[in-house]
Amino acid sequence: MKRLLRLYPAAWRERYEDELADLLTEFPASPSVLLDLIRGALIERSSARWRVTGSYPIPAGGQPMFEHPVHRHPTRLALLALLLVTPTLLFVVTSVLAYQLEVPGMEAVVDPLITNIAAMPWIDVILVTAPFVAAILAAIPLVGIGSGLADGERQLTLTLRARALNVFVLVTSVLLGGVLFLYLLTEFVLEAAR
Amino acid sequence: MPAADSHSRDPGLLVLISLADGPKHGHAIIQDVTEFAGIRLGPGTLYGALARLEEAGWIAALPTEGRRHPYRLTKTGQAALRTRLTGLDTAVRVGLGRITAS
Repeated sequence: MKRLLRLYPAAWRERYEDELADLLTEFPASPSVLLDLIRGALIERSSARWRVTGSYPIPAGGQPMFEHPVHRHPTRLALLALLLVTPTLLFVVTSVLAYQLEVPGMEAVVDPLITNIAAMPWIDVILVTAPFVAAILAAIPLVGIGSGLADGERQLTLTLRARALNVFVLVTSVLLGGVLFLYLLTEFVLEAAR
Repeated sequence: MPAADSHSRDPGLLVLISLADGPKHGHAIIQDVTEFAGIRLGPGTLYGALARLEEAGWIAALPTEGRRHPYRLTKTGQAALRTRLTGLDTAVRVGLGRITAS
């Protein structure tokens, strides 16, 4: 029955999910409880309070509520970012193994692949851009911005979260994109100097 | 007329009444409301009401007690409840008076 709580808006769940889940442990599962939860979720979803992006109430004495449209899918966004950054990661890792570390046998395997990939139009732009797009996707769920009234005053809240997968993908993407960008920039400058 | 139909449409009022004699957590509120109003609030209904009352500043969350999360009535909530009950009291007295007179 706790799975039904996923029907509620993310910002609402942020504040009340644990409490309601705890209360549900004392309720025997029944059609009336099930309908009550669905009805409650529909009411919260139809409430403008939870639909207006970037403007969420701060309850007196409670925790700030905030919601971003994609705040509710941190894992999905992290996996999407990982998928996006994977081609660049493979490209960089295989290139380093073959050409920088000169692992025996690697160059023979990697060289034809790199040659074919390098021939693709816009491939350098795509490979450099992908990590930065991935970094943004991974970072979005880590930041929550909210506003609301507390003690009669409007307050803004900026909340940073530390979700391990998102932080990992974010850091990896930024490092990868940065290294590749600097490498290509160096290549370009050296090429121009010749 | 369905029993306590108007109350069941206003779980917020029932929650405020329940908290008027001291802080309670969700399960205690449900038990209390069941006792004094004969209505068993569903968990979704209860938390919908708690969210609205908390947003209005009429109730406030207290530090967690174990797994439970108690709520208390604020001064604003107390004033709002008093106003609401006074209005209802007037309506009840007028209604009962008219029934008696007819």
